[in-house]
Amino acid sequence: MHHVVLERWSRGASALHRLDARAKLIALFALLVALSLTPPAGLLRAAAFLLAVVLSGLVCARLPLTQLLLRAAVVLPFSASVALVSWFAGDPSRAISLLLKSYLSASLVLLVVATTPMPDLLTGLKRLGLPAVLTLVIQFVYRYLFVISEQAQHMRLASAARLGAGGFRISAGAVAVLFARSLARAEHIHWAMLARCGVSTPRPLLARPFGPPDVLFTVCAVAAAAALAILSRP
Amino acid sequence: MHIPDGFLSTPVWAALDATSVVGVAWLSRGASRTLEESRIPLLGVMGAFVFAAQMINFPVGVGTSGHLLGCGLLTFTLGPAAAAVVMTAILAIQALVFQDGGLLALGANVFNMAIAGVAAAWLPWRYLGAGRFRRLAVFAGAALPVLVAAALVLAQLRLSGVPLPGPILGVSLVLFLASALVEGAITVAVVTALEKMHPRWVQAPRHGSALPALAVTALVLAGVVAIFASPLPDGLEKLAEQVGIADRAQSLLNAPLPDYEFHGVDSDWLRRSAPGLAGVVLTACVAFLLGRILVRQRQGGA
Repeated sequence: MHHVVLERWSRGASALHRLDARAKLIALFALLVALSLTPPAGLLRAAAFLLAVVLSGLVCARLPLTQLLLRAAVVLPFSASVALVSWFAGDPSRAISLLLKSYLSASLVLLVVATTPMPDLLTGLKRLGLPAVLTLVIQFVYRYLFVISEQAQHMRLASAARLGAGGFRISAGAVAVLFARSLARAEHIHWAMLARCGVSTPRPLLARPFGPPDVLFTVCAVAAAAALAILSRP
Repeated sequence: MHIPDGFLSTPVWAALDATSVVGVAWLSRGASRTLEESRIPLLGVMGAFVFAAQMINFPVGVGTSGHLLGCGLLTFTLGPAAAAVVMTAILAIQALVFQDGGLLALGANVFNMAIAGVAAAWLPWRYLGAGRFRRLAVFAGAALPVLVAAALVLAQLRLSGVPLPGPILGVSLVLFLASALVEGAITVAVVTALEKMHPRWVQAPRHGSALPALAVTALVLAGVVAIFASPLPDGLEKLAEQVGIADRAQSLLNAPLPDYEFHGVDSDWLRRSAPGLAGVVLTACVAFLLGRILVRQRQGGA
């Protein structure tokens, strides 16, 4: 499961890792909005600035540069096909803007997710107003995503070993069996929860108050985003 | 069908984010009121199941294969409010962990797939799921969300000014139609298998209020149709022009919204779709009032 790599990246100890999740989320939102507001005329300058932000963030967090930049490129196939259509429809500036904006936004999101462990990220989102039920459901989906995917892979392997390429009905049966196993797992989790007295809300790994470094970081990031939004206007 | 960041213009994503924040807050409040605590792990594990089920391929002929998308199946097994919450959780994880869909565009993706998608899955299930047409209801409830989400994505891209020439639009509609049919067939097969294992896993359609789902569907229809509405005059107007009564018709019918356009509004889209939306709201109000009057009369007579 190559997505587990995010878990390793987000457990670092750099200054960026140690910031409060709320500070990083507010900064991310401000920069994304500023990028979205950038008109085509000022886009190249804004893109250069944001690329510098992403690169310096990656260096500061001591994350593997090429791996992360490649991972953010998963948005490119879709963006490139729509960009191609725009280009041939006679709107090359929009084509460039689609590519740059989607790639830079994905890199910014990845930078934040790769420097914040999931429990901290969810606690931050919850403190910023995400409904409690939704936070819990996201936590459970993330927790069991890899477990059940592994189960699905085992089933696929077993079915391939017995049948070769299965038919439509056989695949439907496999999905139904996976459904039954997931239901049973949910029931076991519920029993375990009852034994331990109730639902466990996500507990942050870093239990610290929102300190002066967080305030400073948030103010700087929002100011940078505002400057970006104003200066990129022609 | 996940829209990345940078595709939607600021008014479009901002409006859809605002709509989705309100919608998801309302749905989560409803879900947390009606759900027992035991259902929370169930919702989470079902979300993980939908992710995992995408690894199981279904051969659909001509050398290609499809996989379950899951909006319909979640709606039939969990009920609409819980299904919408699970879909929102899935979309949030896809945006954060897998870079599948943008973060500012998350509101748009949630609206397309979790709110409008679940409403489109639930309506056929609610009205046909119990009777003779059960299988048709499962098929339609699985296929419609794909079509609704696709139409919404195309409308939102067009609204944001992304050029979508006619041929491209046609090809993508055909592709979306094919994947909707595949999703319908897969869901029918899976639901049949599930019912053989345990008849109660697929919920009987409960006769709750269909008003929110109907309202969402009506608004979506009005909005999408308005965005793609051809700027050409419609058939009746064309006839009137040819016969030469267009001038007189104009002065005869002093409609409140001439040409179904609001004048004095800047945005081209708003100008064209606002009358449609206003019409839907107005019709809904009239229907609601009529219903109230009829109910009162019947109660008075009894």
